[in-house]
Amino acid sequence: MTKSIHHKFFLPHPPEMVWDYLTNAELMAQWLMKNDFQPIVGHDFQFKTNPIPSLDIDGIMYCTVLEIVPLKKLSYSWKAGPGGGKITLDTLVVWKLQPNEKGTDLLLEHSGFSEIENLKLYEGMTEGWSKNVQKIADRLNAKYGTAQI
Amino acid sequence: MVQPRFDAFQAIADPSRRKMLRLLSKDSLTINSLGEHFDMSRPAVSKHIKILHAAGFISIQDIGRERHCTLKPDGFHHLQEWIDYFDKFWVSKLKKLETLLHNKSLNKK
Repeated sequence: MTKSIHHKFFLPHPPEMVWDYLTNAELMAQWLMKNDFQPIVGHDFQFKTNPIPSLDIDGIMYCTVLEIVPLKKLSYSWKAGPGGGKITLDTLVVWKLQPNEKGTDLLLEHSGFSEIENLKLYEGMTEGWSKNVQKIADRLNAKYGTAQI
Repeated sequence: MVQPRFDAFQAIADPSRRKMLRLLSKDSLTINSLGEHFDMSRPAVSKHIKILHAAGFISIQDIGRERHCTLKPDGFHHLQEWIDYFDKFWVSKLKKLETLLHNKSLNKK
């Protein structure tokens, strides 16, 4: 299972130009979402979009700027929930810019899906649960004959 | 049966509950034997079980007097849904950014 989101986008433009679109609230709104971002570490801001009912998200991303390395790196927390200040998603967004001869590689990592990374059991998940279902079926069968679950 | 679709992240945000899922990933267990791995009261164990159950991570089967807990994929699927959603979200946003930058540099020329 995927535990975090990684994307690498080559943009044939200088890092300065890409950086503007990552850190200027008006420019960010043009491609991402409406927001009140400010390039200041510790600044709390929000992204606003339409509610996402399938995920129980009210459409507001509560963020805090965590790190700014001009033209190189930007990170912010990314929290969301069903409304009323309740947070069910607590994640991290990290942007990295790598200049090259032809432009900029823009790297995005969206991670921290409630410590899924630390939940090692995902590796054996599919196999694990079907084995368990089989085990419980065996137990039921042993106890009640051909009981169905 | 209606599957509660919320709180999957909160369900696994707790270290005890993650440990419970890890234990259950090896074998299905009764609530009692699961509780033996934790230094907490039986009601506290039950409360955690209830949360995992509500979030779709486990199913509970009564066999005789015992309640057996078994890992269930629903909760995990829900987590995956969130990740998939944001994965697509970012791709579409990044494409928008690409177009925007492209148009901007064309206008400059």
